[in-house]
Amino acid sequence: MENKLRRYEKIEFLGEGQFATVYKARDVETDTFVAVKKIKIGTRQEADDGINRTALREIKLLQELHHKNLIGLLDVFGHMSNVSLVFDFMDTDLEVIIKDNTIILTTGNIKAYILQTLQGLEYLHLNWILHRDLKPNNLLVNAAGVLKIGDFGLAKLYGSPNRINTHQVVTRWYRAPELLYGAKQYGTCIDMWAVGCILAELLLRVPLFPGESDLDQLTKIFSVFGNPTEETWPGVKQLSDYIEFKPLPCIPLKNIFTAAGNDLLDLIESMLVLNPIKRREASECLQLPFFSNKPAPTLGSKLPLPKNVRTIRDIEKPSLKRKILDAAEGGTLSKRLLF
Amino acid sequence: MMAGRLGITAPGIPDNPLSLSWHDSAWIPILNPSNVLEYFSQGSNPFYDRTCNNEIVKMQRLNPEQLQNMTGLEYLLVHMQEPILYVIRKQHRHSLTQVTPLAEYYIIAGVVYQAPDLASVLNSRLLSCVHHIQGAFEETMSFARYHPSKGYSWDFKSQRANLDKVKKEEKPREEPSSLFQRQRVDMLLGELIKKFPLPTPPQPKVQPVAPVKTETDNSSDTKENRTDIKQEKIKPPPEKKPRMS
Repeated sequence: MENKLRRYEKIEFLGEGQFATVYKARDVETDTFVAVKKIKIGTRQEADDGINRTALREIKLLQELHHKNLIGLLDVFGHMSNVSLVFDFMDTDLEVIIKDNTIILTTGNIKAYILQTLQGLEYLHLNWILHRDLKPNNLLVNAAGVLKIGDFGLAKLYGSPNRINTHQVVTRWYRAPELLYGAKQYGTCIDMWAVGCILAELLLRVPLFPGESDLDQLTKIFSVFGNPTEETWPGVKQLSDYIEFKPLPCIPLKNIFTAAGNDLLDLIESMLVLNPIKRREASECLQLPFFSNKPAPTLGSKLPLPKNVRTIRDIEKPSLKRKILDAAEGGTLSKRLLF
Repeated sequence: MMAGRLGITAPGIPDNPLSLSWHDSAWIPILNPSNVLEYFSQGSNPFYDRTCNNEIVKMQRLNPEQLQNMTGLEYLLVHMQEPILYVIRKQHRHSLTQVTPLAEYYIIAGVVYQAPDLASVLNSRLLSCVHHIQGAFEETMSFARYHPSKGYSWDFKSQRANLDKVKKEEKPREEPSSLFQRQRVDMLLGELIKKFPLPTPPQPKVQPVAPVKTETDNSSDTKENRTDIKQEKIKPPPEKKPRMS
């Protein structure tokens, strides 16, 4: 254990959540930056229950998941009664990017972010895992422009036919209508709704449905899509928290996302569908023409970054340049050998 | 709201933006340099590409100055002559300093047209020349007579009477003056309009496009030669096509 403590040198404090504090650290062995998440022990009573549930979920699931668009759990170690998780270090997240008004999100940029999100999510869903807390804040981005889905504190296996889940998941603004209506059995469609909301937020730079309460959340959703009926969403009335809304007209998405091309509107329309059965899976969405049409998704190195991260990348640039030069020289060298 | 001058194109002929025009009567009386781009960016305007950078900036509520830092399609107000003429350029921006113009649109008295490219102008001018030459040949042929003993001869007398009649009817429609005269008259009219500016007329709800055009012809001609050319350029094809079909 002692060598683990020495292996990760603390650099700075990054943030504090409900269950953990996060530090930026340097991995001495590989000389890379990592994020160390130190789980709080909490009160004596909580400590009696054993290790924190969210941390347990993260450890359990992330140990088996390896994908370039999912946050990598590099190491876990304990010290005294503490448990610390070591993650890939990520420079920023989509929430920061969306709120930074000096950043322009072009269609190509948005395509790159959503593509990576969906690829990560597709892998997750194919492995029978629901994330259950997708929001811009949990989509982490590093200086190389790679997006990774983070925070698996609410993630859970799905697919058992009788298992009852809680509907109190997902941050409200990204919560699917069936969860708001109290559905206890749900599938990948709740994550897809959240991705739809995130895509909308990338386009508008403000949340699409910023509900102030669960009821207000439903009102905001239905004021765009109209309220659900038994025809548009069979079985909606059987949901435990179903409430009848007065009929609302629906607004064409074209009027909300005025600068979106038709292929992009198709993608939004396939993720933001009231009826969860009609919502498309991540793999289906990835097949949509939007991802093969022009413009191409922006390259990772060209994706816009917030100012504080940008400066770091600029400092590191010369080394990259040297690398390219080295590569070029290597190329000429082999040519010389031909003569 | 929309008035395609050649709205119903024959099947098989692709929509030619040069034979289109668009206007929204509700906006015409209130057009000014600050809102003309907004007018142009209406969803029903066939010349406006919704996926352009202007719309992205608007949708994301960014500072309009950010447009300079973006790459891709954008629209820009490049010229205006209040209150009648605005020229909007569609361009592809490669960097802060480098752009490629793609097309220009002019808004005259609220009606939007695409400025034609040189090839279309030459094409339509040549077409109208050839058309008139052909007319002249046909007319001349009707005067030619042949007699076995005398050979070919001209006979202008027998048909002159009814020809004159036809000509008189047609004359007002043909251009009765030289280019110089027309420009001179236009200039004088322009001076008068400058002295006694027209109150912007309340537009009738659905107006045929042609009257609007003739009305604006005069005023704009005098002000700028370029628009004068454009006006004439675009005139022949739409008038001719329906006649031929």
